[in-house]
Amino acid sequence: MSDNQTLPVFDARRRRFALQSVALGGSVLLAGTARAAGTEAAPAPNQTSGPVQQDGLDPRLTMHALDTWHGTPAAGMRVDMFRIEDGQAKHMQTVKLAASGRSEPPLLIGDAYRAGTYELLLHVDEYFAARKAELPQPLFLSKIPLRFRVTDVTQRIHLPVLFGPWSYNYYRGS
Amino acid sequence: MAAGITTHVLDVSLGKPAAGMQIELFDMSTQPPTLITRTRANRDGRTDTPILPAAQARAGDFELRFWVADYFRTPDVFADVVPVRFTVADAAQHYHVPLLCSPWSFGTYRGS
Repeated sequence: MSDNQTLPVFDARRRRFALQSVALGGSVLLAGTARAAGTEAAPAPNQTSGPVQQDGLDPRLTMHALDTWHGTPAAGMRVDMFRIEDGQAKHMQTVKLAASGRSEPPLLIGDAYRAGTYELLLHVDEYFAARKAELPQPLFLSKIPLRFRVTDVTQRIHLPVLFGPWSYNYYRGS
Repeated sequence: MAAGITTHVLDVSLGKPAAGMQIELFDMSTQPPTLITRTRANRDGRTDTPILPAAQARAGDFELRFWVADYFRTPDVFADVVPVRFTVADAAQHYHVPLLCSPWSFGTYRGS
């Protein structure tokens, strides 16, 4: 576990937030709410391996979530996947991201990889709580929906998402 | 800037505002979500009036939906609609929630 290594970082952040909290009169920041909600310890993100090269692999859908607040993969984050049909979201699966922040195995592959509209729902509130991130509650972004389409099943789709408490980006990756 | 919600859509593939893109704002406290406003981005990529005016400002969960596929028109746009779900924690504050987009990338942030 890397807990011993990450603790000093959190301590520094805690002090910083404590100072900001004083500056704001303590009205906005309810530190501790997020920590109290985190019942499960966050799994350690893997930061010892490099990028994964997927060039030439069979068609599939993969994702990779990076936490730009901590500078780590979003290890252990829960992600719900839905298929959107006639405006209705049908739950397909719920996955927990690997220590690399990736969906392992692929979200869709083989016969399951079909054209259509999909949505991934990132449970960032649970994730940040498990990492004991001290953020003002309620969060600006609690559940992040990532809606996308598969239009050509002969092409592989990789969906990276970069997220923090106040922003996110997702795109068609490689 | 008064309280409420505003947005701004920029087409980063053109380096220009995404003029004409349809934008909706939903109240997420109901099931199903309730449509509050449906409008289009003006030539500056903004809405002519705040998408949630100060008089209607309130804390709660909202969702902006950006109709990107209709705007970009290319067949392989990565999404039909981009939903941006967020929480207004303090109704006294202004929430500016922009979308930066190309046909294959979408990003948002709490702006100002």
